[in-house]
Amino acid sequence: MEDNNYTILVVDDNEELVSMIAAILKEKGYKKVLTAQSVKEAMQLFHAKKPDLVILDIMLPDGDGFTLFQKMRGYSEIPILFLSAKDEDEDRLFGLGLGADDYITKPFLPKELFLRVKAVLKRTYHTSPKTEKKEEILILGEHEILPEQAIVRFHGDETSLTAKELLLLMKLNQNRGRIVTFDALCNAVWGDSYYGYENTLMVHIRHLREKIEDNPSKPKWLLTARGLGYRLAKEETNS
Amino acid sequence: MKSLLKIIRRYSLTAGFIIFIILASNIGVFLYLGSSTMKDNEKMVYGRGMMEQISHELTIQGKRIELSEKGRKLIKDTDFVWAMALDESGNTVWEWNLPKEIPKTYTLQDVAAFSRWYLKDYPVRVWKNGNFLLVFGCDKEQVVRYDALMSSVLFKNLPMYLKTMVVANVMIIILFILCYGFRFYRSMKPIAQGIENLSDGKPVDLEEKGLSSELAEKLNFTSRTLRKQEEQLARRDQARTDWISGVSHDIRTPLSLIVGYSDKLAQDESLQEENRRLAKTIRRQSLIIRQLVTDLNLTSKLAYQAQPLKKKTCSPAALLRECIADFYNGEFGEDPYLELSDMEEDMLNYTIEFHMTEDAQRIKIEADEGLIKRALRNLIGNSIRHNPNGCHIRVTMSVQNEKICWLIEDSGPGISEIVVQNMDKQETKVHIMGLRLAAQIAKAHGGELQFVSRKSRNYDIAFSIHLDQSSKDWL
Repeated sequence: MEDNNYTILVVDDNEELVSMIAAILKEKGYKKVLTAQSVKEAMQLFHAKKPDLVILDIMLPDGDGFTLFQKMRGYSEIPILFLSAKDEDEDRLFGLGLGADDYITKPFLPKELFLRVKAVLKRTYHTSPKTEKKEEILILGEHEILPEQAIVRFHGDETSLTAKELLLLMKLNQNRGRIVTFDALCNAVWGDSYYGYENTLMVHIRHLREKIEDNPSKPKWLLTARGLGYRLAKEETNS
Repeated sequence: MKSLLKIIRRYSLTAGFIIFIILASNIGVFLYLGSSTMKDNEKMVYGRGMMEQISHELTIQGKRIELSEKGRKLIKDTDFVWAMALDESGNTVWEWNLPKEIPKTYTLQDVAAFSRWYLKDYPVRVWKNGNFLLVFGCDKEQVVRYDALMSSVLFKNLPMYLKTMVVANVMIIILFILCYGFRFYRSMKPIAQGIENLSDGKPVDLEEKGLSSELAEKLNFTSRTLRKQEEQLARRDQARTDWISGVSHDIRTPLSLIVGYSDKLAQDESLQEENRRLAKTIRRQSLIIRQLVTDLNLTSKLAYQAQPLKKKTCSPAALLRECIADFYNGEFGEDPYLELSDMEEDMLNYTIEFHMTEDAQRIKIEADEGLIKRALRNLIGNSIRHNPNGCHIRVTMSVQNEKICWLIEDSGPGISEIVVQNMDKQETKVHIMGLRLAAQIAKAHGGELQFVSRKSRNYDIAFSIHLDQSSKDWL
């Protein structure tokens, strides 16, 4: 399905805000945007139009968003985002704890809203078996990493990755282009804090570099952020 | 409670001292009076001396006995009302003012009887002078005669009896003092406990009875009043926090519209460059309001302790690394204060260097991770914000005096004196919400935000939080 064909339902008691959100989404190419200003209206549209994604305010004139969320989830597993003026961590955690796909705090930049909607749609609907396989191969220059089999393919040769090396690489890949701290890596791989694992982590990174870098002593992909952590470059670096 | 014991001890000692002083002064006065009455006795109107003197003034002229002029004067000055002299055979040979009922002759038995007792109801004293017996009569109405006969054993043991009695008395007195002291202590104990509780801020509800009932009543009343005031204060704080939280909530929806539409205008190609720039300013300022509202909400919650700290064990080293990684990952770009159109490029002008001591790397603390990160972000952000052309920031983390401390220095001009002076003032023209929030977060963790003076008279910031026992175990 094309992005443009998703039906998005926006629920907020402020008429101007829903029309602004509808305008933002329409401008970004989502043509089917529905708006509702109450629980009642929202449920009617939910049943009648079967939206692919719902953006939900928490405070509504005839009920609260959390209850509405549970009602909707009782019928289908479509992605739901909360859009709330409550900035407390508790509300955010409560919303996400219910199983919401995201939680956006007002006020927000249109770009932020759009990106989050796009990400949720992609996560939910873009995982057809075909694309799934394609996406799972991680290509770093001439090295191809197949996480399923835990192997690195390089010029036809195959080297296997240990479980820890694979975990490290996946964690870095999830945050590709960003620095992942030593602490986050140790937590992901050993479930422990960094202190006491300094050398272990360094050794694992060295082994990983030997498998994925052309020249492990001059890495182009798996880069060190001195004193902080490591980063998996988005593009090959020449430094 | 110690103070109460002190009071009781002081009271007992004072009582003992007072009793000692009184006893000592009594003994002194007794001794003095004793010695002076001995002398007075001789001159006494009923005394032996007087009788002796008068007897000397009696003269025998043939068969007649006369009292000299001097003798008459003497006898008049005494309180004797009458006098007579008896010869060996019991006949009256001389008389003075003798009442009629007094007989003139006496047998030996009569003399023996009155000399020790009364003569016709007159108390009498006798004095032997040569062959005569002088008899003086005292006023019936004024003088009582008492003839004492005592066991000599009693007199012999008198000093010992006295000693024993004094010792026994002193012991009884001490016993009483201790008894009363103890009773006093027991009745004051709840009062002292109540005062102690009151100063500890605990509620006081004492039994209103006995010696201290009135005090207990007053104390209970004070405690109730304090409670009530505390409740009122808490209610007011809660109302204020709720109000700020409400405003912060209600302002967000209209702000969403301002941010949304100004963003739309800022990107509208059909608008003139100048108008797009204006729209950008509106957007940026709206985002500043968003930041302010968020900070205000948190700051009011921290100030009135409405937000419980979500403390858990965390590594300060990891927090700092995460914070700096966030910076390099471009997440500070969301900060609306940083008027940086293209973060990726501009961030290159900023570098962060950091050092951690060995113990600071090892240590784990009990803290609200989110808040500590918020504070560190504010402080690093502060350096960036005030050095729009880029700067070098150095963060040093160390353990000092049971505290973990982050020192944030930058290559810019530093924090000015005005900011430091305005930190504690409620109204201020300088934008220091971020610093204040960091200070509150430090305080909530038993730490503080300090300004470290540079040579240039400007300041760097040191953010520190208190280490509890479990943290010290990591050292």
